[in-house]
Amino acid sequence: MIKIENLHKTFGKNEVLKGISTEIGQGEVVAVIGPSGSGKSTFLRCINMLEEPTEGTILFKDQEVTTQASKIQQVRKKIGMVFQHFHLFPHMTVLDNLTYAPVTVNKTAKREAEAAARELLKRVGLADKEGEYPGRLSGGQKQRVAIARALAMNPEVMLFDEPTSALDPEMVKEVLDVMKSLAQSGMTMAIVTHEMGFAKEVADRVLFLDGGILVEDAVPAEFFAKPKSERAQAFLEKVL
Amino acid sequence: MLKKTHVLLTLALLLIFSLAGNVLPGQHQAAAKEKHNKTLVMGTSADYAPYEYIDTVKGNKIIGFDVDVARHIADKLGYNLVIKDMDFNGLVPALDAKRVDFVMAGMTPNAERKQKVDFSDTYYKAKQLIVTNDPKIKKIEDLKGKAIGVQLGSIQEKEAKKIADKVDNVSIEKRNKVPDLVQEIMSKRFNAAVIEDGVAIEYLNKNPDLSSFVIPGSASAGSAVALQKGSGLTEKFNKEIAAMKKNGELDQYAKKWFEPKTEKKAEKKSIVDFSTIMPSIPYILKGILTTLKFVVVSILLGFVLGTILALFKISKVNVLRWGADAYTSIFRGTPLILQLLIIYNATPQLTGYKIEPFLAGVLTFGLNSAAYVSEIIRAGINGVDKGQREASMALGVSYGSMMRQIILPQALKNILPALMNEFITLTKESAIIAVIGTTDIMRRAQIVGADTYRYFEPLITAGIIYYLMVMALTVLGRMLERRMSRGD
Repeated sequence: MIKIENLHKTFGKNEVLKGISTEIGQGEVVAVIGPSGSGKSTFLRCINMLEEPTEGTILFKDQEVTTQASKIQQVRKKIGMVFQHFHLFPHMTVLDNLTYAPVTVNKTAKREAEAAARELLKRVGLADKEGEYPGRLSGGQKQRVAIARALAMNPEVMLFDEPTSALDPEMVKEVLDVMKSLAQSGMTMAIVTHEMGFAKEVADRVLFLDGGILVEDAVPAEFFAKPKSERAQAFLEKVL
Repeated sequence: MLKKTHVLLTLALLLIFSLAGNVLPGQHQAAAKEKHNKTLVMGTSADYAPYEYIDTVKGNKIIGFDVDVARHIADKLGYNLVIKDMDFNGLVPALDAKRVDFVMAGMTPNAERKQKVDFSDTYYKAKQLIVTNDPKIKKIEDLKGKAIGVQLGSIQEKEAKKIADKVDNVSIEKRNKVPDLVQEIMSKRFNAAVIEDGVAIEYLNKNPDLSSFVIPGSASAGSAVALQKGSGLTEKFNKEIAAMKKNGELDQYAKKWFEPKTEKKAEKKSIVDFSTIMPSIPYILKGILTTLKFVVVSILLGFVLGTILALFKISKVNVLRWGADAYTSIFRGTPLILQLLIIYNATPQLTGYKIEPFLAGVLTFGLNSAAYVSEIIRAGINGVDKGQREASMALGVSYGSMMRQIILPQALKNILPALMNEFITLTKESAIIAVIGTTDIMRRAQIVGADTYRYFEPLITAGIIYYLMVMALTVLGRMLERRMSRGD
């Protein structure tokens, strides 16, 4: 579904991504892990062009994303994204957060969008919060709303950028549970995470990045049992 | 507590508006009684007391020497008189275009005017007076060794030079405006001043310490009635003027308007006395509508333009960014009053378009306010979490929708206090448009001050009105703020 070839990204003089190539297949759940500063977030953000790659190509369903800046909105509609800090629209109610993009971008009828939004809120366990403003929700609730907001656009891929890193520990599970059920429903997902347990349990593949290089690409069972590279071994020793 | 203040303010404003509404003007003044079935339209410029001016005490009635004479002549000729007030410079063109039948506005016949219109015989010749507060000065010779004041570049200046030629040691002092001359006499810096009778009369009437006498042999060109070229009325007017001169009626009118009242009010008025300006207060209140209209249009223009400029400033296109920065720099770096005068005075010179004072004012304030508003909004946009932009982009939302519905609403909430501040400043600063003659609150207070020779009371009245308007804006701002802060 997504094909990444020779992806480079430079900020000023700092080369963050040094040529990454990989593929994410339909229905696949990929966990992207690595030490901080390894370029995992930048890698994820290049997929929907929140960061413009310095070099290389990204194909979404065989369509080149990188060269067609004008069509990027069309592509973004199909790629949902969840941020570490939620980025809900604070001046809109939960329901409006969910219906805004479908109504504005897809021109879905307001009533239809609201019905779909209520379905999604039920799915993330927040049916009773539709009238609240984000400011009144807990971190875990905010992140679940953010996931529902992304899903409201009926994306074909979901990108998660450290979705639980900003949460209090007791709220991590409720978000991971939502993501787990999403993965089980067959959604294609790329998740930048520090939750090794979650990666091990839910992911189909693990990408280990270090220093802007894709060091390892393996199934979780293998990776966590016996990483091939020394760098991955050192990393796992620290986090597990 | 706040609610109570709010209710009070609303009531106060309602009261002001209802008062203002009661005295809405009629542009034309019909004759008091419709005695005749024919009508004569007189054009005048009602800003030249005592020839013709607006009686602010009685609403908008135009009164004065010319009006009395015109009414007398029209009546004799069997016409009802209708008065049309317009700019002095528009009088001759109006006559030329047959929009008025005749013009009386203390107008002196000169060669340029004579090309376009006919003039009657002179009906009044202004006299030059020596005005003084020194009871010992009773004739020209008494001015020996004294300082006399004149208006710079006036006929009075020539008259004073003639005196200086005849009398020893007379020094001539020049000032820009007649009120300044009177002020200098009162402060005893000048011993006397040369002032035309029509202008001097008000000062003489109001001020018991001042006395005057006519300078022998002084005269000016004199005022005449202007009529349409080839009009049959000219002959009739001349006949009536001659008759009035002969039977002394003209002198009576002149006496009524140009001679100081013999019984001067000896009792000193209390320092602050609102009763004298009470009748003129509705006239001042009427300025609220002008000021409000002006402020609302200026704020809207400034806000829309300011938003566009702010978007230019955060744009990636260098030319837009550079242009918006230069714009702000220029409008913030020069005085507002200078911008106003350039737009008002230079537009006709450069383009030939005679811009209306209101339009010139709104343009200046809108353009000026936009510079400040753009900075406020730019800061507001930058203050919105970058994540909001990314979240919108990730959802495929277009730049326009994102700005309108996601970024700007949040920016506005943060900058509301700063914006309200700008709007309040604009409301107060709007008083500057009085300089180009827009009859806003400030201008009307000044007119009443000039009419009644009392300045504190009308200015304080204007001050209270401005204060109430600003308070209303402040309350409105707080209400908006509270409304927008839901969900926090």
